[in-house]
Amino acid sequence: MQRIFWLAWRDLVLEFRGRTGLLSAVFFLAVMLFILAMAFGPNPQDLRKAAPGVLWVALAFAGSLLAGRAFGLEVEDGTLDDLLLTPGSREWIYFGKLLFQFALLMLVGLVLMFLTAGLFYLPLQHWGWFMAALLLGSLGYAAISTFYAGMLARLRGREVLLPLLLFPLVIPVVLAAVRFTQGLAQGVPVAELLDWLRLLLVFDVIYVTVCAMVFPYMLEG
Amino acid sequence: MQLARSNQTNRLDGLTLGLLALGGVGAVVGLVMALSAPPDQSQGFVARIFHVHVPTAWMAYLASFGALGYSVAYLVRRKAHHDRVAAAVVEVGLIFMALALLTGMLWARPTWGVYWDWEPRLTTTAILFAIYVGYVVVRGAIEDPELRAKAAAGVAILGAINVPISYMSVKWWRSLHQTQSIDLTTGKINVDAAILIPMLVNLAAFTLLFIGLVRLRSIIAAREAAREEA
Repeated sequence: MQRIFWLAWRDLVLEFRGRTGLLSAVFFLAVMLFILAMAFGPNPQDLRKAAPGVLWVALAFAGSLLAGRAFGLEVEDGTLDDLLLTPGSREWIYFGKLLFQFALLMLVGLVLMFLTAGLFYLPLQHWGWFMAALLLGSLGYAAISTFYAGMLARLRGREVLLPLLLFPLVIPVVLAAVRFTQGLAQGVPVAELLDWLRLLLVFDVIYVTVCAMVFPYMLEG
Repeated sequence: MQLARSNQTNRLDGLTLGLLALGGVGAVVGLVMALSAPPDQSQGFVARIFHVHVPTAWMAYLASFGALGYSVAYLVRRKAHHDRVAAAVVEVGLIFMALALLTGMLWARPTWGVYWDWEPRLTTTAILFAIYVGYVVVRGAIEDPELRAKAAAGVAILGAINVPISYMSVKWWRSLHQTQSIDLTTGKINVDAAILIPMLVNLAAFTLLFIGLVRLRSIIAAREAAREEA
């Protein structure tokens, strides 16, 4: 349990010391939001309608952009084998990386949420529920992207393969998250929207469990 | 062992040929039966496309579970054979999936007035299609056979889990697709016997074809692997 946190903590420290990865991801997303805002036109009504979709699509891009970070350094420095040499089962590597990925996505997601609130007139009165959706949505993205990033870590050309594999799989997450946020933005009572949140939760639990179970097989050899 | 293996795979086995032949004959019989079936009450002759559409769609879903089974078997037992069968199942499944999507679209145009609609069944099948295209691309991108087999197994396992989840997730969406011909959850049959029987004949024929094609494809893959090693 403890090493999960240490692994995630170490990766986060390295990430913040390096800065370039996280900063460039945030700037990329900001530029993307600008382009989308221009594409959807100046009418506030249209922008508000597009806001939930924009938020989750941008986060999906962030997920695939940042997914390489989790294992990129390990492979560059050849430390992946050291991790594998530690005694005990290897699920903890997955959980550690998942925690790191999740923390990154939450951070970027928060920035994104405020950016879309500002640029797309996304109303944030129910910010607690928005946070819940962001939490569960990021976890869903992170569960899959961490798995695939680890699987493809040693490959050349993973930058192209990763989104290709990632995007079809996260569709249920995007769907549920977008539906939930859309309802919130339109002022639908939260009680009517809880099914979407429940779906997100189910999705997260299933994916985290299965990924953790299969992950050790992916790293061997 | 390698020598014995390669000798064994040097000839197409009788079972594969038999399956393919039986499936081919069955498909022709099914086609004749389907074309002579009475036209549907509300949809007329257009409904006959279901005799191809429903069996292919079934095969497509079957393929995703087959790929899941063989991928898990590969990860547990580490036999190259399982990996090859899983790959064959996906490749043949992709063809059936494409056929199912295509026939569905051809039917949708005169009936719904559009080729495509973002409706649960179509969306989940399209997602499935994208996942398995990813599977094939990953296999093509990795040289090392062991690494390739593991990565492919990972994709197949996650992909198959996604099917029920995304099916559930879009079920609460709006639905335009007509009710299933045979509802698996209640076992109720919503189709007249005159249409059901040719459909079942086609289903049996397509199943035989599917298994035969998978066997054929894995035999080819085994030979390729044997030649690479030689």
